[in-house]
Amino acid sequence: MAEIELRNVRKHWGDFVGVDDVNLKIADEEFVVFLGPSGCGKTTTMRMIAGLEDPSGGEVIIDGEVVNDVDARDRDVAMVFQSYALYPNMTIFENIRFPLRMRGVPKAQHVELVKRAAEMVELGDYLDRKPGALSGGQRQRAALARAVVRQPDVFLMDEPLSNLDAKLRSAMRVQIKHLQRRLKITTVYVTHDQVEAMTLADRIVIMNGGAIQQIGTPDEIYSNPANTFIAGFIGSPPMNLIRGRVEGGTFIAPGVKVEGIDAESGRAVTLGVRPEDCHLNSAPAEMTGIVFGIEPTGDQTLVSLRTDDDLFEIRADRDFRAPLDTTAHISFDRDRLYLFDGVSGERLR
Amino acid sequence: MTQSAATSEGTAISAVPSLRRRRRSPFRRKLFPYLLVAPAVIYLLMITLYPGVYAIYQSFFFVTFTGWVPAGFENYTNLLRDREFWAALWNTLVIGGISLALECVIAMTLAFYAYRDPFIRGWRIIFLMPMLFMPSAVAFIWKLAFNDGRVVSDLLMQLGLISENIDFLGDVWNARLTLIVADVWQWTPFLFIIFVAGLQAQDKEIEEAARLDGASWPAIFWNISLPLMRPVIAVAVILRGIDITTMFANVFIITQGTPGGATETISYFIYRMGFRTFNFGYASAASALMLIFTIIVAQLLLKRFFRSGRA
Ligand SMILES: Nc1ncnc2c1ncn2[C@@H]1O[C@H](COP(=O)(O)OP(=O)(O)O)[C@@H](O)[C@H]1O
Ligand SMILES: [Mg+2]
Repeated sequence: MAEIELRNVRKHWGDFVGVDDVNLKIADEEFVVFLGPSGCGKTTTMRMIAGLEDPSGGEVIIDGEVVNDVDARDRDVAMVFQSYALYPNMTIFENIRFPLRMRGVPKAQHVELVKRAAEMVELGDYLDRKPGALSGGQRQRAALARAVVRQPDVFLMDEPLSNLDAKLRSAMRVQIKHLQRRLKITTVYVTHDQVEAMTLADRIVIMNGGAIQQIGTPDEIYSNPANTFIAGFIGSPPMNLIRGRVEGGTFIAPGVKVEGIDAESGRAVTLGVRPEDCHLNSAPAEMTGIVFGIEPTGDQTLVSLRTDDDLFEIRADRDFRAPLDTTAHISFDRDRLYLFDGVSGERLR
Repeated sequence: MTQSAATSEGTAISAVPSLRRRRRSPFRRKLFPYLLVAPAVIYLLMITLYPGVYAIYQSFFFVTFTGWVPAGFENYTNLLRDREFWAALWNTLVIGGISLALECVIAMTLAFYAYRDPFIRGWRIIFLMPMLFMPSAVAFIWKLAFNDGRVVSDLLMQLGLISENIDFLGDVWNARLTLIVADVWQWTPFLFIIFVAGLQAQDKEIEEAARLDGASWPAIFWNISLPLMRPVIAVAVILRGIDITTMFANVFIITQGTPGGATETISYFIYRMGFRTFNFGYASAASALMLIFTIIVAQLLLKRFFRSGRA
């Protein structure tokens, strides 16, 4: 049971601003994902919630209580580190038991609780090994078990899957989500991987340069990105962003011409269109480019097109093939176009 | 990539003679590394191995002013029957053991409190100072403090802890205490610096994980830091231990083995045999025994600490 609130939270080292004025409310039992490129301040924000880093300004509030001055040890917060941070001198059993010992859980319950936590994460039969004798995936599970064993108020995970291979990563993703739903523990999860964010989150907090860019459900973020940064970050491949200008209701860019755009003439704008909203057309339509590359992924084919000065990605049928330098005409789904301000990148429509 | 490029242009390349592969002669290839280290090795051999071998050789002779008389193992058998030798060995163990134990405990305690301190660099410099003084000068200061100048006695009297002057050389344990205090004062910093470095080299995230798991700093120290420091502690103890078994300067200057030989360490015993009674063969035999003894103990310690530290 815990609600978390960040009020005007800042962190700077000297002149360097790591986290800038973050405001955020996380509801009880919610699964929130911090998403953003490397170095944008996700880890720092999470560490301030954990109490491992002192905010330079603002308030961290857990369950209505300002915890800025509460030691990390006394906030009931469990964290899974990117490096797992298992205790190398202890067996996995001792590792998982450590928080129980430190928090004075009666000894008689230890074995039972450790066993249950290990089962929950499907750790298997490795309890008497030391961390050094486990694979990355097993260590990851051990770290997870150590975090869940004492049923904390808040769960923090810092890129817990980034050291695993792709297959293991998607398997663990499902497991983490299942675990969180089952234990109903408020969870903050940090990642730079938008697929992880989209699949896990109740709400995504997108960060860039230390500041929050947008907060919303995965659907909201995907269909209503607030600016070009988010549009260009979410989706794989992400939204195509075409810089151009509006001339008498028509958007014009090299190789692109879209009519019926409602903006004043002469304004610099960026047009956004998702790869799946582009269609190959036999006759000239909104866009014309030449084939730059073809990437079949099995269930679809990603086609890169080159216009005068830009690369453009569209999603085509799985059996689409074309030689390089073929000229291709593309039509857009007119009601799925996004318009951003050409200077600020803020969404216009 | 580069290889395939090279083969496709193979003809062009083989036409250029300077790119022909050159082979170094096996002789040069094998000998060259040894040549590089030879000066250092020869130097080391001259200053350490030669005197060592010479001493062992000498230990099989009665060395007199007129010549060397072959003695077989007689120096050794005499030594093993010599009560003064055993007493010196015992003194070395007692004085060295207590000093080393105190140094370890004090250094580790200080290191535990200091390693997270933001002013740790300052602490390190302050603690380093005793090590920078010349051992014999320090020994004279302690001699002054404990015996000749009676500084310690005066201080204790001022504090009202004792009522009359203590003759630190008059009592077996007081005399040993003098040596222990001197050694602890001078060498605790050495261990302190090693231990601080060991603690600082720990993975910070492991400490943080332990904090979040609810561990206090002392709990982290006992459960995690100390076990992980085992190899560091072992190396430090062995280095210091070897040094302590050869404790000489303090004995020579402060106590000279008094009272009644209670503070005579092995080194001082060897010195006395060699340079006071000029029994060089006997002194060499004692050195050789001590060498063997030290090697065995160090090996046992190393094995114990490093083996069980793993897996
Ligand atoms: N202790 C520190 N001192 C100075 N700068 C730091 C410190 N920790 C992090 N930073 C900087 O703050 C920024 C945000 O870091 P971080 O929160 O780790 O980013 P990420 O989003 O990748 O987790 C980075 O540019 C990083 O270099
Ligand atoms: Mg990070």
